[in-house]
Amino acid sequence: MLTWIRRGGLSTLLFLLPLVVVFGVFSWWPIVRAAVMSVQQTNLVTAPVFVGWENFETVFTDPLLGTAVRNTAFFALIALVFGYPIPLVAAVLMSEVRRWRGLYSAVAYLPVVVPPVVAVLMWKVFYDPRPEGLFNTVLGWVGIAPQSWLQSADTAMGSLVLEATWAAAGGTVIIYLAALVAVPPELYDAAEVDGASIWRKVWHVTLPQLRGVLLVTLILQIIGTSQVFLEPFLFTGGGPANSTITVLLLIYDYAFSSSLGGDYGAATALSLVLAVFLALLSALYFRLTRSWSTS
Amino acid sequence: MRSIRKPAAAVAAALVLAGMTACSGGGEPTTTPEGKTAITVVSLKPGSEQAAFDAFEEQVRQFEAANPTIDVTTQEYEWTGPTFTAQLAGGTLPTVFTVPFTDGAGLVERGQLADITEHVQALGYVDKFNEAVLATGKSADGRIFALPTEAYGVGLQYNRTLFQQAGLDPDEPPTTWDEVRSYAEQIAERTGQAGYAEMTQDNTGGWMLTTLTYALGGRMQSVTGDQVQATVDNPGAKAALQRLKQMRWEDGSMGANVLYDWSTINQDFAAGKIGMYMGGSDVYTSLKQQNGIDPDDYGLAVLPLAPGADSGLLGGGTLAAVNVKASPEQQAAATKWIDFYYLGKFVRQDAAVQDAKTLAESDQPVGVPKLPIFDEATLTQYNEWIEPYVNVPLGQMSSFTEGIHGQHLAGEPPAQAQEMYAVLDTVVQAVLSDPNADIDALLAQADADVQTVLDRG
Amino acid sequence: MTMVSPGPVTVPPVAGPPPTDPAPAPRGGRRRRPDDEGGRGIVSPGEWRSPVAGTLLRLAHAVLLIGLLVVGLGPLLWLVKASLSHTQDTLRDPMALFPSGVDWANLATAWSEVHVDLYFFNSMALAAGSWLVQLVVATTGGYALAVLRPRYGPVLYWLVLSTLFVPAVVLLVPLYLTIIDPPLIGVSLVDSFWAVWLPAGANAFNVLLAKRFFDNLPREVFEAARIDGAGPLRVFWSVLLPMSRPILGVISVFAFVTAWKDFLWPLLVLRDPDIQPLSVRLPTLARSIELDVLLAALTISALIPVALFLVFQRTFLRSAGLSGALKG
Repeated sequence: MLTWIRRGGLSTLLFLLPLVVVFGVFSWWPIVRAAVMSVQQTNLVTAPVFVGWENFETVFTDPLLGTAVRNTAFFALIALVFGYPIPLVAAVLMSEVRRWRGLYSAVAYLPVVVPPVVAVLMWKVFYDPRPEGLFNTVLGWVGIAPQSWLQSADTAMGSLVLEATWAAAGGTVIIYLAALVAVPPELYDAAEVDGASIWRKVWHVTLPQLRGVLLVTLILQIIGTSQVFLEPFLFTGGGPANSTITVLLLIYDYAFSSSLGGDYGAATALSLVLAVFLALLSALYFRLTRSWSTS
Repeated sequence: MRSIRKPAAAVAAALVLAGMTACSGGGEPTTTPEGKTAITVVSLKPGSEQAAFDAFEEQVRQFEAANPTIDVTTQEYEWTGPTFTAQLAGGTLPTVFTVPFTDGAGLVERGQLADITEHVQALGYVDKFNEAVLATGKSADGRIFALPTEAYGVGLQYNRTLFQQAGLDPDEPPTTWDEVRSYAEQIAERTGQAGYAEMTQDNTGGWMLTTLTYALGGRMQSVTGDQVQATVDNPGAKAALQRLKQMRWEDGSMGANVLYDWSTINQDFAAGKIGMYMGGSDVYTSLKQQNGIDPDDYGLAVLPLAPGADSGLLGGGTLAAVNVKASPEQQAAATKWIDFYYLGKFVRQDAAVQDAKTLAESDQPVGVPKLPIFDEATLTQYNEWIEPYVNVPLGQMSSFTEGIHGQHLAGEPPAQAQEMYAVLDTVVQAVLSDPNADIDALLAQADADVQTVLDRG
Repeated sequence: MTMVSPGPVTVPPVAGPPPTDPAPAPRGGRRRRPDDEGGRGIVSPGEWRSPVAGTLLRLAHAVLLIGLLVVGLGPLLWLVKASLSHTQDTLRDPMALFPSGVDWANLATAWSEVHVDLYFFNSMALAAGSWLVQLVVATTGGYALAVLRPRYGPVLYWLVLSTLFVPAVVLLVPLYLTIIDPPLIGVSLVDSFWAVWLPAGANAFNVLLAKRFFDNLPREVFEAARIDGAGPLRVFWSVLLPMSRPILGVISVFAFVTAWKDFLWPLLVLRDPDIQPLSVRLPTLARSIELDVLLAALTISALIPVALFLVFQRTFLRSAGLSGALKG
């Protein structure tokens, strides 16, 4: 024992203390607790009761689950359609900017620094469905009829994605820019020797070189969008008619929205299901980053 | 491992204690250092005007002066279905808080409220309560866990200025639902604002659909013995939804915004964007305090009821309850506060006058139409006491105050009302946001969903 | 802990010291010619001079800049304009410039009567505390794992890293219940800043960044300091930390930005309006206060981080390039 202390064992422990306490209490213990709670009925008043798979049954027989999964997948999909190619095109163009490149990246990144809640509340005003609303006014200039935006099941989800893309695209642009700078210039020299046009250089040199980053941002975006909460919670509360209820919103509703007390068992059960899905994705992500960073 | 745990505990405890003193969060001491009983009470809704908070603080001072052994802390509070549970579970509810009539029984059953029977009996007026109203806060075996503090009937709120602009007589509000429809169309056409709007979010959509269904002669639940059956799929509800559908899609008189909750519809009404909507008869207080409505704009009419014995006016109300975690001293102090702030004024002249005077001096609404929680005579007496201080435009509410007496009052659905409302939110939103919504299918589905909720208990 | 961002399941593509500057943001006057020092791009100098390709490219750049300005800057400029307008102007014709004059009072009302000042302070306090806790956990933990290297270190490190695979959503309910009734101390942390500060420290990504950085520092330096008689604490404070400025900067930016943006977690654990940050308080206020005052409050809340960003642009963009996707 004494030699252990003299060799620095104790001071090492002291240095690890903050990490162990913080992770222990606020990460490891709650993770274990989530697993336990998913097979229990807990209401914080009476003692928890073991109920086996009942919570999972509740979740899987809930007609809202299908809706929430569909909505979340739809969000993820159109978020990819909007938020994937546009930053790429912008970044490739920006990497060729010779003057004021700082201005380009600063302006592109600006929406990312606006606090998300502020962005949502601001866009809620933009989405005013009256013809006098901001977006409808602008659409009116080019002769397009006023849209319902958040007020119709058909357009609500698209409106959420539009705002989310605005808020996040700048970050993706900066990642692509970083990767573009790292493309070895010799590759372009070589391509020119073969007489390649700008277009062919982009297609045959730049994009293949970005393959790794593109895959990584793809997975990161899917992981991020499957946990979307803020936009549906603040914009629409899941409406109209559940058209924007997402998996995370459903988890929140299980736990917190019944005024007589939450169903914590169902909430943790569903969050574990989502976690398994995300863990598979992040495992894929780790494999890819590893092979990418070694290549 | 042992050696890790002990210092870990000590450090964590030290950190947390430091934080506690630094930002005074966390635990709720039941007594102050001076030995007073500490209680936390509900103040006003978020975003209320400063004068309203000033008036409230003045009332707290009066209470503390009269009860030198009690120390009152105030907490801003607004009950909504989706926010209440987090507060309940998180233990952040004040010592005295308010819930709607619909949740009294459920909270009592789940052991979330303190039994205040003895303290209430000491107040001396428990037998004066309207028995049906008092029952909303009682357990099955007759113990009292919550006290009704106010009751409302739903009324038709309308904007007199918009009526005028649309060429309607603001002193002649609509008296039938057909008139509501044609007035709404006229308002929308001539002013460009929504002629009629309806709440749809955070359980209010179901609340208002139930109100309209009652008014058209339907009921959402039927009780036989201790069996509750969902009757959501009824002709009244169908007629209600068809009316909404016509106004929204055929007449285009409901504006473009279909996502409203209690706060946001009040906000838009006060801002002059809504001609008419259904809301509690007491909502003027909040319109004034939170939304700064121009009193000249405000009109309140009695809700049109379809002819027939079945139509009824939905009424509800608020219960004041005491936190189950409160100590016996706190429970006693809390009941004193309920008496002082919510109830005493109805039965004691001095209390009524002091309350009305304090509010009126800060230009806060006095005299908003209420329904009796005691008997009719007590309310009449109370209204006489406060008469000199009344500052709300009562003349613009006469349609309601006079018409209400002839109406058949019906209570909210007896079982799992809020959860049922949550299911119905979706139905109302679907009809208002989708021109092709299939009302029959929606009602059939909602009926089955509500039955599932009821069966789960 | 952050609920809004994709969660801790993110590791930067490059996590080694020193973080290279992936997005050089040259200041206005300094040109970065593609043919300077071999740092060329896709387009060759010859192509730049070609009348067709060069012109098209310049045109594309002009269009891109205009597009970026409209989309990135436009909404913020509109917000500033609307916060100085009367509510009715914003409602009737949102794109008109001050049809009935400028209303300067909105900003003052938002700041003092709506108490944006208080919520702003709370946001700062939350961000600062989360930052400090994250820094302490990441540096002390990283130091112990990378430099002191106890025998049980790898197991512990693996336990930390494994939390990267658990999305934040799993923690939502059990962590909330833990905060209500924390082990060891038994007093609810709800309505205390610690309920946000402490869970923020459990960020495996920070530990990973710090450990990898410390791993690559030359061990001889620590050995030399130890031989000179410096204890572990002295090595940590006087040798390691001064050498770690770059990684501390990156962790700091991440910590501050995530804390400033966090919404769901503070919403759950900070119920007392007096200690709520802007992100939690603004949606509540939006339901009652008048539109012009709300927009003024939004302007104040947006302009402060925007100003910080403009001042510390390089650090921000470097961190973003390192792992911009963290912000989802």
